[in-house]
Amino acid sequence: MNIMTTNDIINPNNLVYAKPKVLNDTPMHYCPGCSHGVVHKLIAEIIGEMGIQNKAIGIAPVGCAVFMYKYIDIDWQQAAHGRAPALATAVKRLLPDRMVFTYQGDGDLAAIGTAETIHACNRGEDIAIIFINNGIYGMTGGQMAPTTLNGMKSSTSPNGRTVTLNGNPLDITKLLAQLDGTCYVTRQSVHTVATVRRAKKAIQKAFENSMMGKGTSIVEIVSTCNSGWKLSPADSNDWMVENMFPAYPMGDLKDI
Amino acid sequence: MSHTKKHTEEVRLMKGNEAVAHAAIRCGCDGYFGYPITPQSEIMETLMELEPWNTTGMVVLQAESEVASINMVYGAAGCGKKSMTSSSSPGVSLMQEGISYLAGAELPCVIVNVMRGGPGLGTIQPSQADYYQTVKGGGHGDYKMITLAPASVQEMADHTVMAFDLAFKYRTPTMVLADGVIGQMMEKVILPPYQPRMTEEEIIERCPWATLGKTSDRKPNVITSLALLAEEMEEINLRLQGRYREIEKNEVLFEEFSCNDAEYLIVAFGTCARVCQKTVELARNQGIKAGLLRPITLFPFPTVALKNYAEKVKGMLTVEMSAGQMVDDVRLAVNGKVPVEFYGRMGGIVPSPDEVFEAFKNKLVKN
Repeated sequence: MNIMTTNDIINPNNLVYAKPKVLNDTPMHYCPGCSHGVVHKLIAEIIGEMGIQNKAIGIAPVGCAVFMYKYIDIDWQQAAHGRAPALATAVKRLLPDRMVFTYQGDGDLAAIGTAETIHACNRGEDIAIIFINNGIYGMTGGQMAPTTLNGMKSSTSPNGRTVTLNGNPLDITKLLAQLDGTCYVTRQSVHTVATVRRAKKAIQKAFENSMMGKGTSIVEIVSTCNSGWKLSPADSNDWMVENMFPAYPMGDLKDI
Repeated sequence: MSHTKKHTEEVRLMKGNEAVAHAAIRCGCDGYFGYPITPQSEIMETLMELEPWNTTGMVVLQAESEVASINMVYGAAGCGKKSMTSSSSPGVSLMQEGISYLAGAELPCVIVNVMRGGPGLGTIQPSQADYYQTVKGGGHGDYKMITLAPASVQEMADHTVMAFDLAFKYRTPTMVLADGVIGQMMEKVILPPYQPRMTEEEIIERCPWATLGKTSDRKPNVITSLALLAEEMEEINLRLQGRYREIEKNEVLFEEFSCNDAEYLIVAFGTCARVCQKTVELARNQGIKAGLLRPITLFPFPTVALKNYAEKVKGMLTVEMSAGQMVDDVRLAVNGKVPVEFYGRMGGIVPSPDEVFEAFKNKLVKN
């Protein structure tokens, strides 16, 4: 039996997998178990594979992904909270041959930035919006988000979200799918190998749509925030499948 | 007369707001993003009518709010593009967050504020009550904005062009601070000559920081105003403050009327300066040696000029369409050397030359 030595393993000829070239070596600040790292890797991988590193312009949000520009080796603009689609609108209109995307959390996209999100989508801006929905404000320490589930505890809904006080969770992706300006609206996750592969295809399609000028693409990634949810990474995945998926079902909402 | 000369000297009659739109297209502006509000809606209306996207390629977009407008300006400016917005007082209040971000991210852009009376929804009549908001930093953090104060339709056109030049020279948002009178009145204007929009090569040359897509010969460009480390954030602040001192040294503009032998100085900008020019004439007709100093830049403020006049005159009167805002800067410049009096009207009222003259006599020449 042939046993590989360390030297065999690190021999470039034996490599079956490598970190995407477009992903920097900067250690990520995300909590272990968080979905952001996986989605970042997918974005870097896709940009590399599509050969559009010189054409991609990313708009980073305010939230956990505020430092996204440290991790992916492309040009970035960091937006004010919620305003990423407004920045992306101007960037894409002035540089129509570039691939322009925003990366936003649920607070950024579905609370403070609701107007910018809806109107960019309604105008059919040729941008891709990557929407991380973990139902919580991660960076500020676990407050309630517009997508927080009923009954779900957060630091600003310590006894669980109630409809009387906070209204129902906002399914903004469903709402955006109604708008004529959106061409591709899909909901994905990244908690298993199979779902990571599907999410990658979805993000790639959104980026291609931006390049082709087809309209606005939304890729919602239903994600975990194990720190905010106060669960282990594995338990977070289970909790997400059990609780988040019924409220935010997986799959394409629109694909024109 | 050469063709170019004939072209550049063509005299047109138009509103101040329309002149801004024409000047923007002519100076090679890449993008205008705005939201309707009286008394400046003609700026976007004129742009939409002129359809510059068919000629120079300039993008004109009506945004969903002033908040979106200023953030579109941020996106465009981050790409090294000449971008602008315009609004009036309540709308400019909404833009303050964005302006602070633009200042923090060191992005050049032009914001035109055609001021109306406040506070609140206020009135659509002209006012100068956004002086503090503009020159003292209406948004959060320590920043300054170069501020030009046009007093004619001609200056609405000229200042639009100049504002872009200054914005790019110092990588800072620049404000054209007009008021409802200057925006709405029609006057003769000679429009600026056409300049081509910057090519991407020119942008790369002039704005190496611009996000045009990372090429293999450089590191990624990142437009951000974020620096979590206090030491790093202080460094950024020191750099900005250094730039503001440079601006104060190099870019002060003001105009003087009948100041040579003046015993009394009136200080006023924009519409009030036009009113006060007449007041100076009224005073001179009665043998009172009055002069007028009109700041054209409000930041940087003509502090040194006023300090020098404080050595020569018996007193000063600042006239504003506000409760008295610029008067603070005049008093700081004069530093108690001579009395600095104030006369103002609020809520959208433009003072008449006669009432200013009355105030001038009562407050200043009474002895």
